[in-house]
Amino acid sequence: MPFALPDLQAAFAAHLAGEERGELIAAVIGDSIPAAARLRVYRHHVQHSLASALAATFPTVQALVGDDFFRALARAFVVRTLPCQPVLAEYGAGFADFVADHEPARTLPYLADVARLDWALNTAFHAAPAPALTPAMLAAVEAERLPSLGLRLSDGVLLVRSEFPIDRIWAASQPGASLEQVDISSGGADLLVMRRPDDAAFVPLAAGEAAFVASLDAGNPLADSAEAGLRADPSFDLSTGFARLLALGVFAAPQQ
Amino acid sequence: MGKVAGIGLRSPHLAEIGRDRPATAFLEIHAENYLAGSPALQAVERLRADYAFSVHAVGLSLGSAEGLDAAHLARVAALVKRLEPAYVSDHLSWSVSGGRYFNDLLPLPYTEEALDVVVRNVVQLQDALGRQVSIENPSCYLGFAHSTLSEPEFLDALVRRSGCGLLLDVNNIVVTAHNLRLDPRAWLSGLPAAAITQYHLAGHAVNDSDGEPILIDDHGSRVGDGVWTLFEDVVRCYGVRPTLVEWDTDIPALPVLLEEAARADQVVQGVGRDAVRAA
Repeated sequence: MPFALPDLQAAFAAHLAGEERGELIAAVIGDSIPAAARLRVYRHHVQHSLASALAATFPTVQALVGDDFFRALARAFVVRTLPCQPVLAEYGAGFADFVADHEPARTLPYLADVARLDWALNTAFHAAPAPALTPAMLAAVEAERLPSLGLRLSDGVLLVRSEFPIDRIWAASQPGASLEQVDISSGGADLLVMRRPDDAAFVPLAAGEAAFVASLDAGNPLADSAEAGLRADPSFDLSTGFARLLALGVFAAPQQ
Repeated sequence: MGKVAGIGLRSPHLAEIGRDRPATAFLEIHAENYLAGSPALQAVERLRADYAFSVHAVGLSLGSAEGLDAAHLARVAALVKRLEPAYVSDHLSWSVSGGRYFNDLLPLPYTEEALDVVVRNVVQLQDALGRQVSIENPSCYLGFAHSTLSEPEFLDALVRRSGCGLLLDVNNIVVTAHNLRLDPRAWLSGLPAAAITQYHLAGHAVNDSDGEPILIDDHGSRVGDGVWTLFEDVVRCYGVRPTLVEWDTDIPALPVLLEEAARADQVVQGVGRDAVRAA
């Protein structure tokens, strides 16, 4: 009975994920290089190349833990979560949650949030450009409609919130950065990640601004979101904060 | 004779090529690196006025028994429509099974069953793009005992049944022939010459498998001497075609890549002079 192609590809897929498949080894021609060694070339390449793709997407995590630890971490993730499509820039959505649950990474409690920041920067970098809401567009909205207005962040603009100072951890991990000691208990960071013409970047938000943005992006109207900002920080000033966010161009223009 | 050799456009060189516009026959991009609509795609679009483009896909998985991923096919088709490249290609291999993508060019058994699968997928791809695509011979590290066709026989049948073009990767011939104990010149004889649309050249690594050398297609070095020699034979046998120098890992400075392309042009010119002398 010949090895039908759907069965062969399913067995090969299982082999690549680390399983031993005797029927597959038996189907491969071996000589001075045995069939199993030939099959391992593919398994090694798949795991190595996908770990490299993760390294490209999560450079700050890699800088913090070192190459060897990162390779082990990435391979553990790859075996559990292979890509579901071929665009490698879109691979790694679950990596931060995996890092959070990964026992050997527990000694670095901020690592998962750093992974979230890397992922947000990657997502922002690859986002297709889209028109942003301008002050002029907002001025065209009738005053009585403003409180109930809903605003969304543009595709590729993401709010990353952490109880750790991940902005300073990120800065200290960049190539060429001075080895500044960051006190990880020195307070959290709310970072708005966005695309710039040639790269992606983040700006730190004050607590009131972050609560305002988070509320808007959750679908709440402007008035409720302003209240959320005030609850988070009594000194939150809606007109100043809103003007700053509009100037950053982070809200999506209304669909025509 | 003008240049026939092009180079792979890789992100470390994007700004330099945009600024200096070096002379090269064409630029090649991997489709899967430009599907997200990132700023890099806009940079490529700015180069379109000055360069011919080759869109080389690595993830369509034309050998998948489960058929093509409709969503991915639609994204590649949108990219091809947007860039209107001179050439479009992918590989004789598979990389998707059960909805999981393996980021590798995995080997097929060369059987009538696999041929039916690849023909069906290539026809679907060509219909979706509204144009011919070229299919590249892969690097192989193993062969299947139940194959009934040789790789060249399989490619020949694929060309006849689907109307696709043939992208001849000279480095892959050297790698596969070494690893599967084949004679590269025998492999080359009897290909459908009229279907050959393009040549690829690249470097490979020599790894150790328990004391046995195995060639790995890593696109991480200069083109090897054996590949240059075989390339000369290929040009002599099948004629001049657009020729790509690929370099994807340990990417060198741009001038090194351009030097490799210039060497490919010299080989082609040398074969042309020999032919004139012989005539």
